[in-house]
Amino acid sequence: MTLMGAMRASPPSTIGGASIGLPSAVSEHRTTTRGVPLQLLGISKSFGSVQALRPMTQTIEGGEMLALLGPSGCGKTTTLRIIAGFETPDHGSVVIGTHDVTELPPNKRGLGMVFQSYSLFPHMTVGENVAFGLKMRGVSAAERTTRVREMLALVRLTQHEDRQIHQLSGGQQQRIALARALVTNPSTLLLDEPLGALDKNLRERMQFELREIQHRLGITSILVTHDQEEALTMSNRVAVMSDGQVVQVGRPTDVYERPRNRFVAEFLGTANIVAGTVTAQAAERCWRVALAGEPGASALVQSDTPLAPGNTILLAVRPERIEIGPVVAGTMQALIQDVVFRGSYFAYELCVPGQDAPFFAYSQNRKDIPADRRVGLGWQPDNAIVLEDAP
Amino acid sequence: MTAGIPVVDSDAKARPSRPYRLAGPSWVVPVLLFLGFFFVIPLGANILRSLQTGQAATNGPLFYYIKLLTDAYYGGIIAETLKVAVISTVLCLIVGYPVAYFMVRFAGRWNTVIVFLLIAPLLTSIIMRTFGWRVLLARRGALTTLLFDWGIIPRPINLADEPFAVYLGLVHVLAPFMILSITAVLQKVDVRLEESARVLGASAFGTFFRITLPLSLDGIATGCILVFVVTCGSFLTMLLLGGGKVTTLSLLIYQQFNVAQDVGFAAAMGNLLLIIGLICLALQAKFLRRSGGKS
Amino acid sequence: MTALATALPLRRRRRVRYGVIALALYVLLFLGFIAAPIVSVVAVSFSTASFIAFPIPGFSLRWYWRILEYRPFIDALIVSGQVAVLSTMFGTILGVPAALALARSRTTAAAIVSNLLLAPVTVPAIVLGLALLYFLSSLALGISFAALLIAHTVAGIPYIVRTVLSVYRSIPPDLEEAAAILGASRWQTLVHTTLPLVRPGVFAGGLFAILTSLDNLPLSFFFGSASTNTLPVVMLSYMENQFDPSIAAISTVQMLIAIVVLLIADRVYGIEKLTS
Repeated sequence: MTLMGAMRASPPSTIGGASIGLPSAVSEHRTTTRGVPLQLLGISKSFGSVQALRPMTQTIEGGEMLALLGPSGCGKTTTLRIIAGFETPDHGSVVIGTHDVTELPPNKRGLGMVFQSYSLFPHMTVGENVAFGLKMRGVSAAERTTRVREMLALVRLTQHEDRQIHQLSGGQQQRIALARALVTNPSTLLLDEPLGALDKNLRERMQFELREIQHRLGITSILVTHDQEEALTMSNRVAVMSDGQVVQVGRPTDVYERPRNRFVAEFLGTANIVAGTVTAQAAERCWRVALAGEPGASALVQSDTPLAPGNTILLAVRPERIEIGPVVAGTMQALIQDVVFRGSYFAYELCVPGQDAPFFAYSQNRKDIPADRRVGLGWQPDNAIVLEDAP
Repeated sequence: MTAGIPVVDSDAKARPSRPYRLAGPSWVVPVLLFLGFFFVIPLGANILRSLQTGQAATNGPLFYYIKLLTDAYYGGIIAETLKVAVISTVLCLIVGYPVAYFMVRFAGRWNTVIVFLLIAPLLTSIIMRTFGWRVLLARRGALTTLLFDWGIIPRPINLADEPFAVYLGLVHVLAPFMILSITAVLQKVDVRLEESARVLGASAFGTFFRITLPLSLDGIATGCILVFVVTCGSFLTMLLLGGGKVTTLSLLIYQQFNVAQDVGFAAAMGNLLLIIGLICLALQAKFLRRSGGKS
Repeated sequence: MTALATALPLRRRRRVRYGVIALALYVLLFLGFIAAPIVSVVAVSFSTASFIAFPIPGFSLRWYWRILEYRPFIDALIVSGQVAVLSTMFGTILGVPAALALARSRTTAAAIVSNLLLAPVTVPAIVLGLALLYFLSSLALGISFAALLIAHTVAGIPYIVRTVLSVYRSIPPDLEEAAAILGASRWQTLVHTTLPLVRPGVFAGGLFAILTSLDNLPLSFFFGSASTNTLPVVMLSYMENQFDPSIAAISTVQMLIAIVVLLIADRVYGIEKLTS
């Protein structure tokens, strides 16, 4: 039974307050039968002398959403364009399910894509836009009408079928772009900065809505974004890219809590970086580290890999993991430069002797500590992340 | 990260890059063949013809060009061509600039109407417009009668068949092009620059000559070169309104073709006309690049 | 009323007003100058007199009957129409695909080819006509309808290429990518996405090409014969022999035809969209 057949057979249900025209039974059905894995096997791309993408191998599981996250020029868009078929990789291949599609033109790959600027056809109505992919496949007019209606119901824009594109708001255009991409039952959904053009509030709402639709349909998805919050919110796994290669890939919590290096730690959220020298093992998987810049100050660090005493290492601590307390001898000390109330927490800017960059600490305590106060800083051993970079 | 996938040999030959594009280079081939055959080759043959046919075959390849540039009669015609082109360019600029200025600064919603009235004559044939001037300038024409009644001319005479009529006809056809070239640039000049000059105490004239005019130079240059080149290439106005008193290079080609049939000479004159046009285009490209403008 | 006037201090506004009024009167005078010969030709075409006089002594349609009787006018009108429409059609078929291929290409070769396609408009028509006549004569095509058509197609290509280039450059490439990823083949993308989007450019360029062709005497007169004379050529030779209001009548008819072409273009596609 096709997805659409199932949709027609059952009435729309309400999930999480939002009416989504897709019963949950269908999504499970779909997750198991559709959700084709996608494999990138050593794809690379150069433009002239610029290596846009170093050889990259990655498997996206069926039904998974993988976010390619990185600053502009990191190769994430090139990767997406190679998957879409707009660029040919210099080496390597793209495999969807069991088919090598590297040599196929975009129109033969059976993909869905949402573009950054939506790229809705300005000379067609909303309905014609959504129907476009079906029309290209020679689907009969009657069936097109039914399936367009179903898709518009999915994105909750049923009343807008005959509108012109320029009559829609940004959020509505975004949802129509999604409906147009999904109407052909693509094996994989490509999202190129899909929420980049929306304002902040709408963007947050759409993140959840998009994730929910993707999850219900169980469609394998690749999200390209430079917005860390978008990547963390929407994806099952995040691949952080820099300089044409994937630096780290993993579940959002893992990548956030255990960044491999300074780039990942600083690109994904805020990180306080401090160098130190391993002095001795304090307990099982726990070492004492003398902190650079402040003689006598040391901290405990937990690590799965053994640390050799005498080695210098680089540590990262998230601001919300830093504990502010009274000054205690032998720990890190700081002077509070500034306190900012951010609604759910206080943000402290701290001056740490011997450190060039200011430290940041977020505290959920109801009472703030005034500026110019001397404080001691500490953290639980498992909240200090040992980075791979040399200090 | 993902184990068990064969590492791709990076020494292997790179796959040729085929980015997705709707139109490929082959889409250009038909028009290239067409223009190559019916535009480039004919013009090339024309150059050869001017160097090899008729008297050029016996008296040396540059015979016709030397004749054109040194012979007093033909030299005079080249001078006349340049003179007519320069005068009509200056006239178009003087007549047209105030109109362009009014359109951009004061016309408001009337701007569209004026643009339409400037473009509308394109719907009529050049013969119609030239004929219209003959009607108005004839001995019993409306304009002649009017000028006689006002005592500007002593008796009703035929004003057509005079250089005056040629310039009138040329300005009538070409001033709209000048105006539209200037408005295109003037529109981009920030009104606030003029306003701040006025607020700082500059007079209206001072503001115009120090701020507005220099900033619209790009449009003036484009318009002038356009009018100059088109004037050099036109002969109908001279033929129908000049009464034989204004002979330019184009008119001479027309007459040579109709009467003398000296193929090589006609070709040489055409090439000279083409060279004048190319020099103007080169000047335009250089001028616009220097002033940082975009065509 | 105007931005400048309101922006200036009150004391000065009065002086500016007088200047603006003087300028407005001048513009009105200029527009009168532009309209004068055209209006007078239309008026003369309804004259009773067999000589040119304006104002006209009386109203009649005799000169319109005269052009109907004078075969060369009607024949030439038909030739002109055929040449204008066919040359624009060929120009479109040749020029549009080339413009689409060149618009997004940044190579030196593409720049050179673009300049070549735009070049015919910068060559004086009389030079192009002369060169083409001798070249086509050597191919035994000299004075023929085909030669006329070739000449007008060469002259029309730049207008079409120029407008299509600029319209296509303003269309984001990802619209075509969107069509492709949705399953449209190259041909389907062209038909359903690209051509509808560049249609304003094709229309505007085609309109320019038709209007230019109808009035391109310097190009046409080289290929003139009884069966290949375009209207301006016949009008010119008529004027060189006779000077009566039938020229005014045929001019007016030609102007009406151009207006009808424009109105059709407006009906099919808004004029505002054409000029923008």
